[in-house]
Parts: sequence; structure tokens; C-alpha cells
Amino acid sequence: MLKYAIKRIILAIPVIISMTIIVFLILHLAPGEPIDLIVGPNVTPEVYESIRHKYGLDQPLIVQYFKFLGNLFRLDFGDSILQQRPVSRLILERLPVTLKLGIAGFILSVIIAIPLGILAAVNRNTIIDYTCMTGAMLGMSLPTFWFGLLLLYFFAYRMRIFPISGYGTWKHLVLPAFALGLTDAAVTARMMRSSMLEVLGQDYVRTARSKGLAEKVVIYQHALKNALIPIVTLLGMRLGWIIGGSVVLETIFSIPGLGRLMIDSIHSRDYPVVQGSMIVLTSAIILGNIIADILYAVIDPRIKFD
Amino acid sequence: MSKKNVKRFGLLLTVCFIFTILLTGCGGGGTEQGSEAGKEKVLVIGYDRDAEILDTIKTAWYSDALIYIHDRLVSRDYDFGYQPGLAEKWDTSEDGLTWRFYLVKNAKFHNGDPVTAEDVKWTFDTILDPDTGSPFRGDLAAIDRVEIVDEHTVDIILKYPFPNLLFVISNTAGGIHPANAYETYGDDYGTKVVIGSGPYKLVEWIQGDKIVLEKNEEYDWNPDWMEHQGAPLIDKLVFRTVPDENTRMMEVEVGGIHLLRDVPTTYVDKFEENDDLIVHRGPSTRLGYLAYATDKEPFNNVLVRRAINHAINRDEIVEYVLRGIGGPAYGYLPPLLKDEYLEETEDLAYRYDPEKAKELLEEAGYPNGFKAVLSSDNSTLNSRMAEVYQNMLKEVGIDTEIRLYDSASYTGMLREGKQELFVREYSWPNADILDWFLLSDQFPYPNHSRWVDEKTDELIKSAAQSPTWEERAKGYKEVQRYLIDQAVWCPVYIPEKIMVARKEVLNFKFHPWMLMFQDGFDIAVE
Repeated sequence: MLKYAIKRIILAIPVIISMTIIVFLILHLAPGEPIDLIVGPNVTPEVYESIRHKYGLDQPLIVQYFKFLGNLFRLDFGDSILQQRPVSRLILERLPVTLKLGIAGFILSVIIAIPLGILAAVNRNTIIDYTCMTGAMLGMSLPTFWFGLLLLYFFAYRMRIFPISGYGTWKHLVLPAFALGLTDAAVTARMMRSSMLEVLGQDYVRTARSKGLAEKVVIYQHALKNALIPIVTLLGMRLGWIIGGSVVLETIFSIPGLGRLMIDSIHSRDYPVVQGSMIVLTSAIILGNIIADILYAVIDPRIKFD
Repeated sequence: MSKKNVKRFGLLLTVCFIFTILLTGCGGGGTEQGSEAGKEKVLVIGYDRDAEILDTIKTAWYSDALIYIHDRLVSRDYDFGYQPGLAEKWDTSEDGLTWRFYLVKNAKFHNGDPVTAEDVKWTFDTILDPDTGSPFRGDLAAIDRVEIVDEHTVDIILKYPFPNLLFVISNTAGGIHPANAYETYGDDYGTKVVIGSGPYKLVEWIQGDKIVLEKNEEYDWNPDWMEHQGAPLIDKLVFRTVPDENTRMMEVEVGGIHLLRDVPTTYVDKFEENDDLIVHRGPSTRLGYLAYATDKEPFNNVLVRRAINHAINRDEIVEYVLRGIGGPAYGYLPPLLKDEYLEETEDLAYRYDPEKAKELLEEAGYPNGFKAVLSSDNSTLNSRMAEVYQNMLKEVGIDTEIRLYDSASYTGMLREGKQELFVREYSWPNADILDWFLLSDQFPYPNHSRWVDEKTDELIKSAAQSPTWEERAKGYKEVQRYLIDQAVWCPVYIPEKIMVARKEVLNFKFHPWMLMFQDGFDIAVE
């Protein structure tokens, strides 16, 4: 298993390098420069050029890229042009905030989705099934930011149960975590339902029923275990999105996480910060996929590591 | 799936759950306005954007927090008058080249050190050192050197007369730092530590979230013009960043924020009906205008430029787009700059007259009008303005295609010189804005209207380098007269400054540029 994991991690390196090329090119081809934001409008061309030179932005793009790549191999993301601090420090400050929100949302989605999926499958084609799946369909179609705004409007602005925005206490986390978790739960619940239905139609479930086992035992002891296999894979893959999923919500709820840092840096063309946070995001998604693969093989003995 | 594996899965879930509880439980210090506050007087101010770095020397995006952390040699009163600050008085040599500042003797930095001439010299020398890369260096270009006369007297020696020195050093960027701050505090300076001598001290800065300042109990060197003397009444100032506009407006309604310094006109009616809120409105130093690349056809023709000026119905824009909260603009500076503003602007104005516009276009050789690209950034107000301009220009035969950009791309596009017609707005309380936007050595950016004209250069330079403030003001009036004649821009509107404060905020004093929280602002504590 260890060998497999190492192999997967090594394979991830070219993915990360390709991503850096794409991000680097897109960022630098877009008009605008971070210097404009450092210097403001009242700058003489001479001062402007001297600041460009200071950050190496007057060098050819290819030189800038290889410098960046060289630093990257030493795990140095460079310094933020606007904030004039190491990017790694900025990311480390923001990452825990995003992780906290992402994990809370993830757990909420699991807690909601699995029972809902089971309930819908067991009561297939009844009003319960239709209600659950219509809810899930709605959850899937609603954009997270819009759902977040709705929650904010009703629970924070109208009823004043939770703070509208900010960060610091558990109360600040409830609404964004729900917004994130509920939309995520919709996908998982639908998956859970179809996986459960597939398992319920199999011979061994019929055997269990014919043995005269109680329906509860059939569902929870026999069917659920196998129905969970694809869900575990799905959840493993979603782990990567813990970091990437809350980008928009962080802006709506004023949460100072990695997503906000990324959006702000894209707006201000703070190249090193965008590149650094994209690398973290890509690595998280790759890691999520590796975890999913490993979990899959651990849970289902029929699958072997190659 | 074996029993063992189900157990593993369960264990994983449990670990995740406990992890979340731990994470959420270990949150930060809670909210200032809530339990922690107790009887402490805390004022929360809302912003759409956080500081990049809390160092006046190294940034052009000055967080308001820096106004209160630092003192400046010169302060500005509610009428934009220059008043003593860290310097209790100053005088100027006859040739206007030497400015002597006499520092107050009792001022102390937050680290306990007295404020001396050495600190003033270090601050300005650091800004002027090209290696620092300070964006403020250009503003101080007139300074030749700073000399210490004695512990509390300092001379600023200029290369040429520059009466605007008082304005420049009274800006946020003119905040005085302790000498050798960078050596003493290292990389933490500007993030974890900032030392000034102002009425508030930095407590903490959680990037992207808030900057917290607490009052400087020892502060008793307030300039005499301030009504309130001694330490400020409010214990803590919290500068919160809430990037989403809707969220920010809701926060002030529920009390998560006490004061907003910039409120869109669309919220004014709603806030005026709310008993918990007080809307404060007043004249601003903002000016919205329609600009064009004056070096490109057909905008290099003064008749076309005048035609565009006649095509825009400013009154309608003020009434429908600004909802009546503002006024039309015909000149290049806001009237609030009372010394420099050209009084006869209204008489020289190009009034709305589509027929006249058509005649001018015909005279210029465009009887059927022409086609052009109209660019704007994607902010709500400017993109709306672009649509309105498009309609008004169409009426006189100018057919435009709108292109919207995000703000960084917009600046990039202007720098590259791809613009034809474009929407702009500035907010600045000094006539030197005309130097930045219209001098030929500022081409191609920030001289985005690409106006390269010898006479303008001559007029601006002679105004800026006048020996006295009065002569400078006279010089800038001449500049404005010429710009109006040449129709270099099409000035359109001056919006009002709209602030909203919750009713708990006491002794609120309106200032179009900065709020003086140290001047007796208070907050009612339940």
C-alpha cells in the first residue's frame, strides 16, 4: 500500500508542474499588474519601473517562470508582491480557517446525506423518496453562494440567531458550514440512494430476507456495508474540495480563509500568492484522490493495489 | 465490506467529527462588540478591503487604521485647512525652499520613545531612498534633503518651490515612524508591529478579518484646533473587512458594524427609514467623468471633444443614476477644494445641447457621427454609467460598443493604450490630481487620456512650483480654464459622500476625507 501511495505521489508531480504552467500563463497573459495596486494612481513612471524591477517583473516571462519553479523545488513560494511577506506564511495563516469550515461542511454533508439516501432507497417510489430526491435535486441545482445568502438573510439578518459575517467563534461557522454541507449532501444522497438500490436488488439480500431476518437487520447489517463502498470513494474525492469548495462562501461570510486570499490575489494580480494557493489546492485534490483510491482498496478486498 | 472495515470507516468519521469539534471550539477571541467588550467602548467600522501591509512607507493602499496609529507633522481640519500636528508651528524661507518645522516636545511613540527630529528625518529619508521602493517617493520628489536643526527642530529643504508640501506631508503616507524601525522590528514591522505616536495603538491584525486598535492613554498632544483634548473617548477601534456589499450593509443594520464610510446611493432611502441608523451626507472630493484617448482620431479633434461634452445630460444622470445624491460636474476639480476651484466653471460649462453636439460633429467632419469602443471597469456604478453614456452618445450619432473589465485588467488596458472612450472616477482632495493625469511625463499611465500638450505642462508646472499657496491656487485656476476650453475630459458628476452610523455613535463629525475619532467621537455602551 505504501509503495502504491508513493507511486501515486510521484505521478502527481507532473500534474502540479503542468498546473503551474497553466496558472502562470493565464495570470501573466491577463492585462494588469500588481504594481498598479502597490503604487496607486499617483506614481511617476520612474518609481513604477523601479518597483517592477524590484519584483523581477521586468524580466522575460520564461525567466520569471523558471525562477519560480526553482524556488518551488525548495518549497519556497516566494514573497507576496502586495503584502511583502512570504506566501507560505500567508497560506499557513489562512489554511486552518478554510480547513475548519471545509471539514465542518464535509461532516455535515455526510451526516445528512447517508440517512437521507438510505431513507429514499428503502422507501423507493413513495412520497418519502420523492421528497428526499426533490430536496437533493434542489440542493444540487442551487448555487452555494445563493444558498449561503438565503441562510444569511433568514437566520442572521431576519432572526438574528447567528452573526452575519466574520470569524472567531463556533457561531460564525454554522451558516457557512450548512451552506457548504447541504449543497454537498445533495450529490452524496443521490449517490447513496442509487448505490443502496443496486445492493438491495442483489441475491444475498434476497437470501437474507428469505432467512426471515428483520428488514432493519437486512438493511443496516447486510446491505449498507456494501452500499457504502462507492460513497467512501466519493467522499475521499470530496476531501480535496474541503479546501476549494468554500472560495465564494468565504467572501459572502467574510471568512479570512485561503479562498478569500486566492480571490483577492487574483483581483490584484499578486502572482506569487495565486500560484502558491493554487499549488496547495491542486495538491489537496490530488491527495483526496489518492486517499479515495487507498480507502477503496482497503474497504473492498476484491480490489488490489497495482 | 467486512465488519472490520465498517469499524474503520466509523472510526474515520468519529475522528473527523472530534477534529471538527476541536477546531470549532478553539476559535479566536470572540467578537469585540459582544461579551468580551463588557463596559469597554468599542467602535466597529466596516470596509470592503483589508490593508495589504500596515506600513505607510511601503503601500499605496492606506488602511484608515494608519491615520490613527501615526501622527503627521501637519494635520488637516474639517475645512481642509492645514493645522499643527506633530509640528506645533512651521515657517518658510523667503525663496520658499526651506521649511522649518518645530516639533511638539511632549509627543511619544507607542514604544515610549520621544518623537524627535531624527525620527522625522529617518521617515522621509527612508521614503526617498530608491531601494525602499516606496510608492510615496514620487509625491516627495520636490524634497532635496531633510536636516536636523536640534532635537525638536527639522528643516525640509526643497529643490524647487513646492507650496503643496503641507498637503503631501499631511496625508496618511506622511505618518512619522521611529528612526530605524526596520532594523529594530525586522520583518514584523508592518504586520505584527507598527509604531507611531498617534491616538491609537495596534493591538492585532488578523489579515482579511480585522485590525484592532486600542486608545493611547498617554495621548495629550492633540492639535489645538480639535475640540476634544487628551486621550480619545473610545477605547477600541475595530476595522473590519467585509468584502461583500450586501453583507456589509446588513451588518450595519444588525449592529455588527457601527459605521460605514461609503454607502451606495441605492441604500440611502432604506437606511434613512431605519431608526437605528443615521445617514450622514455631505460634499465629496470625488469626480466622475467620461474620458477619451485624445491622441487618437477622432478624439484628437477639439470639436469632437466639445460635442461629447454637449451630448451628456448631466442633470438626468444625477437625478436617475445618483438618485439626486450629488450634483453635475463641468470642471476638473470638486468645488470642495475652495482655494483652487475655478469659480467661473459654471459659466464656461458645455451644457447639455444635443443639437449643438451634432453641429460640432458636422463641423469636425463627422456629419453621420462615428463608431467607438466605450470601456469601463465592472463596478456597479461605472458599468451603469457606461450604459447611460452609450444611450446619450447614440442620440448625437456616436455609436459605441461597451467593453467591461475587472479593475486590474482595466488598469492594464489603459496602460497599454487600447482605450477610446472610457469611464473614470477619481477621489482626491488636492489639485495635484491634474499633475498625475495630465502631465506629459505621466504618459501613458496615469495620463490615461493620453493628453500630451506643451501648454498644459507649462501651466501645471508653473502652478505646482509657485512660491506661495495663493499663487499656486491661481495657477491651477488657469489650468482648469485651459482644460475646459480644450475639453480634455467630459466631467459629469460629483456624488455626495454618504456615511451611515448607528445611533450609538455619538458626537459624529462629518469630514469628507478622514474621520477624527480622537476628536471626541464616542459610543454609547448598553
